[in-house]
Amino acid sequence: MLFDKTKFTSKTVPLFVMVSPATAWLVLLIAIPLLYIFVISFCSTTESHNIAFSFTLKNYIKLFDRTILSIYWNSLSVSVLTAVFCVLIAYPFAYIMVKTSPLKRTLMMVGLMLPFWTNSLIRLYSWRTLLGRNGYVNDFLIYIGVINEPIEMMFTRSAVVLGMVYTLLPFMVLPIFAVIDKLDKTLIEASKDLGANFIKTFCYVILPLTAPGIFAGVIMVFIPSLGLFFVSDLMGGGNNQIIGNLISRQFKEAFNWPFGATLSIMLIAITIFLVRVYTKKGGKLDELGAV
Amino acid sequence: MRKGLVCLFLFFAGVGVFFTGCSGSASSEKESAGELNLFIWTEYMPASVLDAFERETGIKINMSTYSSNEDLLAKVKSGGDGIYDVVVPSDYMVKMMINEGLLLELDKTKLNNIENVEQAYLNRYYDLGNKFSIPYMGGVMAIAVNKTKIASPIASVSDLFGEEFRRNLVVLDDNRAIIGAVSKSLGYSLNPATDEEFEAIESKLLELKPNIKLRDSDSPKTAMLNGETAAGLMWSAEIAICMQESSNFTVVFPKEGCYVFMDNLTILKTAKNVENAEKFINFVLRPDISKMISDEYPYLNPNKAALPLLTDSYKNNPASNIAPEVFRNGEFVQDAGLKVEKYDELWTKFTK
Repeated sequence: MLFDKTKFTSKTVPLFVMVSPATAWLVLLIAIPLLYIFVISFCSTTESHNIAFSFTLKNYIKLFDRTILSIYWNSLSVSVLTAVFCVLIAYPFAYIMVKTSPLKRTLMMVGLMLPFWTNSLIRLYSWRTLLGRNGYVNDFLIYIGVINEPIEMMFTRSAVVLGMVYTLLPFMVLPIFAVIDKLDKTLIEASKDLGANFIKTFCYVILPLTAPGIFAGVIMVFIPSLGLFFVSDLMGGGNNQIIGNLISRQFKEAFNWPFGATLSIMLIAITIFLVRVYTKKGGKLDELGAV
Repeated sequence: MRKGLVCLFLFFAGVGVFFTGCSGSASSEKESAGELNLFIWTEYMPASVLDAFERETGIKINMSTYSSNEDLLAKVKSGGDGIYDVVVPSDYMVKMMINEGLLLELDKTKLNNIENVEQAYLNRYYDLGNKFSIPYMGGVMAIAVNKTKIASPIASVSDLFGEEFRRNLVVLDDNRAIIGAVSKSLGYSLNPATDEEFEAIESKLLELKPNIKLRDSDSPKTAMLNGETAAGLMWSAEIAICMQESSNFTVVFPKEGCYVFMDNLTILKTAKNVENAEKFINFVLRPDISKMISDEYPYLNPNKAALPLLTDSYKNNPASNIAPEVFRNGEFVQDAGLKVEKYDELWTKFTK
């Protein structure tokens, strides 16, 4: 076949010009760093804290250390709790948002987004002021006589979950809002016409139809919550380590980039696994990326 | 409707980004006689000193900050040449950076103010003869005690294991400092060496675990001032601030000896503005400037010429004006080499 010049100028060149910056971006800033992480996860460190490029599996073996496993367990349970509480709060919130008037909907949206103008560290610090030993909540409860001694609310696992839910809630509300908004109302009417009460309609019609949104939200909450080490540091006082703490410490304190890389690879593996489950169940990748 | 909400979201996000951008670019208009890139600990160099330097010399300082020596090293090694000129590593990190060939040998003829530095703080193990570094500020890790909450006398780290401290301690989130302090309380060095020592430290450390309410390196004083905890292991300057705020607080220097540190002004070999860096270091060592720094951050000031100028609240506070014998009896932390993995394992068990 002869070289088709018109096709080259009209199709290939524009395509190349348009796509190559994005490709270069992806290759330079995502693919190469990831490859580097993968390579050094098989390396070890030298006495002067540099990376020794010699093949070893000891980092992967270390993953099965009892202490490391217990941190994984703790981190996963924090994430499960976070996802559950996010669904329980976000679902009614999104439902009301769809049902209410446009003005109230906008106000609810602004209310959800406005806190994002403030740095999340500052917002988490304010929980310390609220829930601390001599914080406002304890002061108030003592004042009205419910308790005599301050309750220890901060620096516990519950506080970590609270911080996670607080930080990640919008990521659950938005996908759920999207599916409820798209819900075909005639189906709900049909269900009602056939004599189902609200609870039955909800369980057999609304919930199955909105499940993809819940699942998308769970993925968008569950995965980041494995890595948000500053939430565990600020709310848990550093006593409730999650996977993110472990990784950040390998890079920042322990000079053990190879082991940090191994832990990151594990986190990526968990993420890929969950996204695979999601797509297998019929979820669309687009809905994870878009609002 | 959905599109509208997406737009709203993007608008809110965009406004945030827009204003962030504005504040950054407004100040870069000024005429300047060159630049200096300073990389220093957070909360360690008052803006007033930078302003004074800029007014006097016309040199513009770009300051960025780090919160651990390891962070500093990682950024210097991966950041590329000429990004930073002056960096302020602690003792053991000075040694590591010298070994890695990262520091520039100082030209003492241009740093005549080095004579202001007290002899006792010069010529230490990490840089004999101070070829590469000049002491900036230092301190020790000590015990902060809230006298209204703790009746029993505290003299050593081993006094912090009792029942009355259950969930009542704040400690630094620093594995070398806390493991080192426990090690010293057992009679070992701040830099434990043998496996038996590490085993003993491990069981002692896990005994301490239920007493720890939180670990915080950035501002452990807040937990003390809020009444969150009754005692804590933290840097002397943090305790000094607690004591300035309220007479309920007192400082205890553990009798087995303290973790001591000294942060040092150094110039990187890859620095682009060496001359400005020298000017700046000499400026910082001037007594009046050193006083400005001490007024804001009450660390141990090794500048003997500045001492007469310092306020009474510095001089009379044992946590800022640390007695020379406390510093002398203390120990510097040393690079652990391959043992960092051991430290990390201990710390992971301690914090899980």
